[in-house]
Amino acid sequence: MGLLFCVLAAVAFGLLGCVSKAAEQRGCGASALVASVFGWATLVMLLRTAAQHSGFQMPAKAVAIAVACGICAAVAYLAFQTSIKTGKVTVGWLMMNLSSGVPAAVSIWIYKEKLSPIKIIAFALGLASVLCLFWGQKSESRVAANSSRERG
Amino acid sequence: MWFLLMLIVLLTNGMSAFGLKVIAGWALPGSVKFPYLAIWYAAGLAGVGAPMLLRGMRLSRKDLLWGALMAALSIAGQVAMAVALDSNVPGHIVFPVAIGGSIFVVVLAGRIFFHERMSRLNIIGIIMGFIAVILLGMS
Repeated sequence: MGLLFCVLAAVAFGLLGCVSKAAEQRGCGASALVASVFGWATLVMLLRTAAQHSGFQMPAKAVAIAVACGICAAVAYLAFQTSIKTGKVTVGWLMMNLSSGVPAAVSIWIYKEKLSPIKIIAFALGLASVLCLFWGQKSESRVAANSSRERG
Repeated sequence: MWFLLMLIVLLTNGMSAFGLKVIAGWALPGSVKFPYLAIWYAAGLAGVGAPMLLRGMRLSRKDLLWGALMAALSIAGQVAMAVALDSNVPGHIVFPVAIGGSIFVVVLAGRIFFHERMSRLNIIGIIMGFIAVILLGMS
């Protein structure tokens, strides 16, 4: 039963990436769409917090971190939504998920976490993947520019 | 421009989830999670909404409907993952399946519905990235 929910999570997150592209194709503005997503999610979380009856009490330092990380998330989604206008949704979505390597690296640095062999392989593959995707995009842009020049 | 956007995605999206790890280290009560997420989303809304207001931009009905669908999918994914973890499925299975699976869905949809063609270099990059994400989820 638990595994079924893992698959459901994968489908829901995957559909989120697909719906982002579909919304872009139907002319939704990137910033308007991100504001709308965050607006609805804020509403849901406020209702969920109110239902909890424990109030909004939180230390100031936790509030500061929530604000900084929330702004980071909105900027990230805005950059992703803007990128899929010209780039591929597949590559953008992979970058969104590869970004989980950044907090893992920061954790190793700040919390002195152990660098396991799996993490070393993951970081190396992640770095190689980013380089391949960047070079791939560069070569595709070059091919597209050449073919449009030949046609013109 | 695309390269810059991808760099922004890599750095900011990764750090957006780091706060949960920081506050977990402070051993705050579990009831803090939802107010934390409410402030997290509200800050994101303000970060994107304030420049829009200054430029006099407004949300159309279309933006609100697509945004609602995306928010529902995001919350559904989080809830499904939380239920899987509560059903005693270990995290090193839940995260790789959920994240790796979502990439698989997007790759499939990109090919079938959005007719995205990939160069050989991009295909190699996607395969390596897919494995990296799964390994990061496992660790």
